[in-house]
Amino acid sequence: MSLPLRGRQLLLVAGAAALALAPAAAWAHADAHPGGGFVAGFLHPIGGLDHVVAMVAVGLWGAVLGPPAIWVLPVAFPLVMAFGGLLGLLGVPIPGVEIGIAISGLVMGLMVLCELRPPPWLAALMVCAFAVFHGHAHGAELPAGSNALLYSLAFVIATGLLHLLGIALGETRRWPGGRRFVQGSGGVVALVGLWFLEQALR
Amino acid sequence: MIIPLAHLTATGFGPWADGLARLVLEPTELLLVIGLVLLGVQTNRAVSDRLPVLLPLVWLLGGLIGMQLASPLHWAVVRTALLAAVGLLAALGLRLWPPLVLPLAAGLAGLFALVAGSALGGHAGALAALLGELIAIAVLTTLLARALAPPHARWLAIGLRVGGSWITAAALLMLGWLLRHPQ
Repeated sequence: MSLPLRGRQLLLVAGAAALALAPAAAWAHADAHPGGGFVAGFLHPIGGLDHVVAMVAVGLWGAVLGPPAIWVLPVAFPLVMAFGGLLGLLGVPIPGVEIGIAISGLVMGLMVLCELRPPPWLAALMVCAFAVFHGHAHGAELPAGSNALLYSLAFVIATGLLHLLGIALGETRRWPGGRRFVQGSGGVVALVGLWFLEQALR
Repeated sequence: MIIPLAHLTATGFGPWADGLARLVLEPTELLLVIGLVLLGVQTNRAVSDRLPVLLPLVWLLGGLIGMQLASPLHWAVVRTALLAAVGLLAALGLRLWPPLVLPLAAGLAGLFALVAGSALGGHAGALAALLGELIAIAVLTTLLARALAPPHARWLAIGLRVGGSWITAAALLMLGWLLRHPQ
């Protein structure tokens, strides 16, 4: 039996999302990659499910919100995340970083699931607040002795690509059944965030 | 026998090729060039058309002056902060006053070239390496300025801002790393 074209496209997108999420059943911030440089920087944000789902959720939520949020969030997030990273590198403490990261997944997942559309400034503020936690955790782990700029650049690119994946998944809302798929993705993100929150609170 | 230059990765093809490769292997300079092109193409067509001529010329001048310096300049923090500022300007999508953009680009490129030249100075083959890097900058700037020339479709305008955002983010992380691990 062959699926209709749009159904197959939806299946492909879902499969791509599953592949993106599958290899990463671990904390993003638990270990530092040996060495450094571009490859380590690129793999770091992809290597942790808590970070991956939150980044994808940024794109998903941007797509649900529509313009201007669909591009404001991916532009603002790396900037604020890097600021958080700067704080982490300088040793400025931020309490409850892992809890904040878990809550980011939970909240943004719920936003997508419930298709909540706060004013763009409020959405940007929320996403930026979460970005500080993500950046701080990663900044504190930037390995010494690596090529820091290549590592940082690759890290930012990987994060941006995760946003792009979220936006692409979010754009499936235009297709029949796509809206439910996006809401379901938001639900999965929220559940993963909830699981990490429970782990962080232990 | 070719003696490798300090601050250059030996490609095995001599100092000219080492200079060509330096732009790719020295991301601070690569990102500056990309950031300046982003600023230029966001400003207007006249500015973006002049960048492929201006940047290599300024790079040559700054590099030659830098090669005359007695010791290498270590301005990593300043350079990284300036890189973050260039990326931020592109990320904000501000349309700068056009007569300001070319002098700004020239000043920044000259400063970075000064540092690059000071690192190469005193070595045999330094001039060839500088020329190699200059060629790489000319080619990269020409290709980027041509490909990204205004007017911009909406998605491309967004892409330019995202690019600026990524440059600033990488530079901020680098800045933190430099402050944490002073050279």
